[in-house]
Amino acid sequence: MSWFTPTSPSSTLANPKASDDGGFIAPDRTARSQCWEGRDSFFVCLEKNGIVDSVKEDAKAREHCAPELKDFEKVCASSWVTYFKKRRVMEHQRDLTIKKLAAEGATPMEGSSAGGAGAAALRGK
Amino acid sequence: MRRTPDSTNARLIPASISIEWYERPDLTNSMASPEWTRAINTKSSASSDPFSWQAGLLFLLAGGGLTFYFRYEKARMSRARIAEANKGIGKPLVGGPFTLTDHNNEPFTNDNLKGKYSLVYFGFSHCPDICPEELDKMAGMIEAVKEKHGEGVLRNVFITCDPARDTPQVLKSYLAEFHPEVLGLTGTWQQVKDVCKAYRVYFSTPADVKPGQDYLVDHSIYFYLMDPDGDFVEAIGRNFTVPAAAKVINDHIADWKGKIDRS
Repeated sequence: MSWFTPTSPSSTLANPKASDDGGFIAPDRTARSQCWEGRDSFFVCLEKNGIVDSVKEDAKAREHCAPELKDFEKVCASSWVTYFKKRRVMEHQRDLTIKKLAAEGATPMEGSSAGGAGAAALRGK
Repeated sequence: MRRTPDSTNARLIPASISIEWYERPDLTNSMASPEWTRAINTKSSASSDPFSWQAGLLFLLAGGGLTFYFRYEKARMSRARIAEANKGIGKPLVGGPFTLTDHNNEPFTNDNLKGKYSLVYFGFSHCPDICPEELDKMAGMIEAVKEKHGEGVLRNVFITCDPARDTPQVLKSYLAEFHPEVLGLTGTWQQVKDVCKAYRVYFSTPADVKPGQDYLVDHSIYFYLMDPDGDFVEAIGRNFTVPAAAKVINDHIADWKGKIDRS
């Protein structure tokens, strides 16, 4: 796949290639990590400019982080771009909620799977 | 020989009762002798004294041993209860009949899951970050189970929630990057919808997706552990680390009393 051309992934996320049996080839590890790097550099720029929600504040994001955003949209599929932007907002709000709860004195609860043995394994028994 | 009681004792006995007193020369006075007293003291060895250190140590060892045994049995019983809770008469909580096609284009049904423990994960190959992360974890779990129980004990299956884009060829190349033992399953939209329903997996892909469309699929993120009878055992969520998840699987495999087909 992209072993011979490491700089340009053969199956870029932006232009998925069709497989022989009617499907669409998924991005491989290299393509995924390139997309994640593009996302990370875009987010670093957003962080510097204090933008959390780059979907709502799209104009502002484009103004301050135009080159990073362009690169991000090049290496990632558009559905992934939207997903990562929304996820950033969700994670920010979740962190705020956790901070608020911790300030109110809540202690973190360990999540458990559907099953007592799972919870016990999580506690390290 | 008879000896009548002396006057002090006679006062305590009612006149209607006659008591015979016998002399016991062996018991009188000899026990009060110094030789006898010394013998009693030196005979108090460890085994007759309840508060010696050897007795204390034995007590602690027995107590500790019993505590460990009870804890082990309790854990085993709670695992057995979980495993058994999902068996029994009637419709299973998770799991059921399904028909799909594997990534070598061979048919695959729920009967193919029997014989070994199975780890089932639902996802799709165009997943941005969660499925790759979970599949890397799955590879770690597979290796941890192999380390503990050897080859051929666990079957590993990836069922796509995106049958339009995830054809057998796509799945085969996608999964090869994670672990050679993960088998990809796909099918028609209806077949995938049915297996998601059987496993209570949230499935949101529309039926009429146009080829080449760019979209994401929402799906629940769990590993489903099935036993060699094809029955559901436990669901392992995202919050589990690889060692914790591997421990859950390894413990269930160790508890299994029946035969596991290692072929």
